[in-house]
Amino acid sequence: MKQLQFLILLCSFTVVASAQNSFLLYSFKGNVSVVENNVEAKAKVGKPLNAGATVKVAAGSAVTLICNEAAMFTLTKAGTYPLSKFGDSCRVSSNSVSANYVKYVWASMTKSSGSAGSNRKAYMNTVGAVSRGGMNNVWIDNRLDTINYSSGNIFPLSWKSYAEAKDFEFSLYSNDNISTPIYSNMLTKLKISIGTFSGKMKQGNSYYWTAAIKGEENDDLKIINYVSKETFNAVLETIKLQGAAFEAPAEQAYRIAFMLEDAHYLSEAYQYYSKAATLDAANALYRSTLMSFKKDYEIK
Amino acid sequence: MKKPLHKHIGHHAKKVHGHFTKYLYERDTIFATIWVFIFIVVLGAIPLNLGVINPIKLSLKDFDSNDLSYSKLHKGEDTPLDNRIVIVNIGLADREGLSMMIDKVGSMKPKVMALDVTFDGERDPYKDSLLTETFARNKNLIAATRLELSGKDGDTIKMGGNYISTASNYAYVNFFNDNLSTIRNYDPFLEDYKKKKFKSFSSAIVEAYNPKAYKKLEKKGAHKAIINYTRTVKKYLVVENEAILAGDVDDSTFIDKIVLFGYINNNPNDIDDKKFTPMNERYYGKSIPDMNGIVVHANIISMVLDNNYIKKVPLWVNLLIAVVVCWLHMSFFVRYYLESHIWFHLVAKIAQVASAIFFVWLGIYLFDKYRLKVDLKMSLIVIVLAVDVIYFYEAWAVWMHKKFNYKTVFKPHHH
Repeated sequence: MKQLQFLILLCSFTVVASAQNSFLLYSFKGNVSVVENNVEAKAKVGKPLNAGATVKVAAGSAVTLICNEAAMFTLTKAGTYPLSKFGDSCRVSSNSVSANYVKYVWASMTKSSGSAGSNRKAYMNTVGAVSRGGMNNVWIDNRLDTINYSSGNIFPLSWKSYAEAKDFEFSLYSNDNISTPIYSNMLTKLKISIGTFSGKMKQGNSYYWTAAIKGEENDDLKIINYVSKETFNAVLETIKLQGAAFEAPAEQAYRIAFMLEDAHYLSEAYQYYSKAATLDAANALYRSTLMSFKKDYEIK
Repeated sequence: MKKPLHKHIGHHAKKVHGHFTKYLYERDTIFATIWVFIFIVVLGAIPLNLGVINPIKLSLKDFDSNDLSYSKLHKGEDTPLDNRIVIVNIGLADREGLSMMIDKVGSMKPKVMALDVTFDGERDPYKDSLLTETFARNKNLIAATRLELSGKDGDTIKMGGNYISTASNYAYVNFFNDNLSTIRNYDPFLEDYKKKKFKSFSSAIVEAYNPKAYKKLEKKGAHKAIINYTRTVKKYLVVENEAILAGDVDDSTFIDKIVLFGYINNNPNDIDDKKFTPMNERYYGKSIPDMNGIVVHANIISMVLDNNYIKKVPLWVNLLIAVVVCWLHMSFFVRYYLESHIWFHLVAKIAQVASAIFFVWLGIYLFDKYRLKVDLKMSLIVIVLAVDVIYFYEAWAVWMHKKFNYKTVFKPHHH
């Protein structure tokens, strides 16, 4: 009896061990190669790969693989990837349509659809004009076209997606190299706070940034100038000097905020709008302006 | 003494059961149910299109609650890649480009090749001759043709779009659908007035690839078949034509496969050869077409090869379900109407919403689990009508009582 049990256990183990993941090279762009049995060859669409193979992705290239004919994933960063490490990517979530139905009905019954008046950013993106220079599924507000930044970690860079996508790639480029990002981050939200990547920037330098749906490209680059503290203080002093003789602290904060926003110091303008609303909490204008500013720039 | 829990639950279950069944066998419930169907027949018989100014009816004209399964409930997301089919994106290739592409793929030994392109009239003679030769050379190529129907009954059929006429096999690519409607059905075969049989593009491909599956399809006859959509374009291997010509495609990719040459474009603004399907992200109202024609064909082929047909429940079953649903609801409504009239409207509205949610789920569940398409629209309509018909029935029953001493549970002006 024990021998039989051992045999069954051994057979089960053999079956589990032999159930290796198999991959299929679905698509690629750029310079991608595959190493199988120590032989390196150029990647080819439709090539079946076993778990022992390795995929090499050069800078600026990407490859999409399908595991066990079900789970699709894309490698976009340069590097060497042994496929044996992608066991997790082979898992396919089994969807229960009934459970999803309950969730959908509940979400639909409890979630407000909102209105145009209450969220102007979300409803003011229907553009009545053609676009030239390629089709982007991601739209970045023109107000974020050039930002001067010196401090503050909360202010986010945000965008809007025309396509239903779950993952977005944010990329930050240095001024002299817009082909390889100095920082990139895969996000599920449609924004990233500047504080997340400010450590990658050096004061006094300009950078480009963009966001794209995972697997797509967006050549619409926006500028962020990382201004030194001294430069910003000089701007701030100039603004302060332009005030009226008898200006209350809240009034001054509000004026500074407005002028900083005009000068593209958005993160700093937010700090001053908040200050004005705090100093004179009863002032409806300060409150509503702060609310609008937060809505416009997706500050939560 | 406190009741044990099971008795407590049993008591409540009995109470709820009583709400539904107390008046179930009353003559009034049965007659009120009959009146609901009389109303439906009478309203349906009005020879005017009353929905012409009804925005709800207009927007829901093409609505099918099962579409929710794909757009919101993630049905089909875990469907595996169909490794029997490879789609070659022809992009904007001209006749010369197509010729090179077909020859190149043909040399990689696919079992069947099918070109989802029609050709109207002559163009550059050099390019035309190249494609003519390619068509003649590749005996396993199925070329697309467009059926042009004429005559009073549309049963005089002639083939169009087949200027390049040297292919061994032609099959029609028409979907006999309104251009702006969701493509839910297709005609596997079509017969003209002389009973000459034409095969659809997908049927001809299946015949060449798997004669056994084709025989099953043929047995179903020349009737409309519901398409069982299981895959988006991402669930098929799509190869770009440039990659083929550049040698970036593995040799094994096409061996013994079905290779479909068609136009694929993932740009939502490019709607060339794109169709509305139940897999559209937006399942109601204004939308943009979501699936290239070649992917619709691929879905049909997958369905036929897997014998994965959708079974449609016959009309009489749908009607029977509607009768039972109406009867149960009527019994429930009559109980509240007579005994707790103050709560009648609130309870009726809640019951209508709950029933709508339940029946939509039931339809989706049967569709998902058993590929059974049950039309529960009638059931939903009778639930909505039942509330209004009770008022009419009360007046009718009281009048009948006065005139003919008709026995009824309704009393004159009881509320």
